Amino acid sequence: MDVSKYIDYTLLNPTSTERNIIDLCHAAKRNGFYSVCVSSSYVALAKQLLENTKVKVCSVIGFPLGSTATASKVYEAKQAISDGADEIDMVINLGFLKSKNYVSVFKDISDVKLAIGKKTLKVILEVSELNKNEIIKACEISLDANADFIKTSSGFSKGGATLTVVKIIKKTVKDGLKISASGNIKDAETAKKFIDIGVSRITASSDFKIKQSV
Amino acid sequence: MYHYKNSTNFNQVMKPINKYIDHTLLKATATTKEIIKLCEEARQHQFFSVCVNSCYVPLAKEQLKNSDIKICSVIGFPLGAMSTKAKVAETTLAIKDGADEIDMVINIGLLKSKKFDVVWKDIEAVKTCLPNNVLKVILETCYLEELEIIKASELAIQSGADFIKTSTGFGIGGATLNDVKLIKSVCSDCTKIKASGGIKDYETALEYINLGVERLGTSSGIAIIKGTTSNSNY
Repeated sequence: MDVSKYIDYTLLNPTSTERNIIDLCHAAKRNGFYSVCVSSSYVALAKQLLENTKVKVCSVIGFPLGSTATASKVYEAKQAISDGADEIDMVINLGFLKSKNYVSVFKDISDVKLAIGKKTLKVILEVSELNKNEIIKACEISLDANADFIKTSSGFSKGGATLTVVKIIKKTVKDGLKISASGNIKDAETAKKFIDIGVSRITASSDFKIKQSV
Repeated sequence: MYHYKNSTNFNQVMKPINKYIDHTLLKATATTKEIIKLCEEARQHQFFSVCVNSCYVPLAKEQLKNSDIKICSVIGFPLGAMSTKAKVAETTLAIKDGADEIDMVINIGLLKSKKFDVVWKDIEAVKTCLPNNVLKVILETCYLEELEIIKASELAIQSGADFIKTSTGFGIGGATLNDVKLIKSVCSDCTKIKASGGIKDYETALEYINLGVERLGTSSGIAIIKGTTSNSNY
């Protein structure tokens, strides 16, 4: 199995320079990765570098806390799309979820999806901050709000995807939403374990080992 | 109660220490209940402001009506890597929702790329949409070299920032006395300084105030105040 096509090649460190983004895009092209995932201020640059290639551009939104006001997330998403983003990875409002204010969690996701139309929306749950019931609830809300993917983690919190968590998500969303596993997936073997249980996309950083060790 | 600054400015009367404090809760999982408690504490201890994420500005405003406690909203937080137009939109909305002050994070990546004109425009675009409100520019000094701190301070001053703020509290480190001295050397009188990140007790708070810091961003405001009380003979 070639994992390249599953990879969102990601650089979200706040100190990342234009040079680092250029290197990211070149590596994504060279390896035939699915996309690059960058902060919204770097979408235009990434798009320019990846013109006439198949590599898509993902922009994160409300990242990494998810505590940006809904109307701001909507605006940031629209702007990212107009700068050339193909996919939007937004962070769910964790505080509202923990407050059991599900109406606001729904509206937050739904408003962003309405604003970006047919473009792919991934909802980042930040599973390391959630208990099992909260993960299930967040999946149900994302499903209702017409998201396209559940993404496990931002990479900026305590932990990332685990096989156990992905199984819970899969059981909840079935085929209604795709799953992107993120955080701490460092090599092709680990990526395959996630793909085997139904993950459609893998978030990988520059330290990802694409070659299988013998 | 008043204290005297004990170093070079000892003839100046210091504000009561609670009036230096932006009472802060920015963790992603903060609930409605926790924000209400934050506002109650701010009222009880008469802090200068509460500092919250932009999704909680309307709630904080509602909680603090009929008080003189201000609301700060963070913007582009904590990475600063949001596009300029998105920062402007978030700011405009936060002001409309009732924010009195805006704490925005500088675009650190573009600073490190030496795209100084873009960093400047990022700040200026935000300042332009809040001509009558206070803008604090967060440098996230833990990621910056000394020269970058100086350059970022200059850009913030030129862009019309009201305050330079050291840290988000989400980086690898918070304020240091050395960073504050460095910022102070660039903006001796023109722009104020807010020290934030890791200020947890009265003694530390006072060290920063003695350096000329005008505001402290902390979630330990109550501990700092209690320190004041226990040292009330001082």
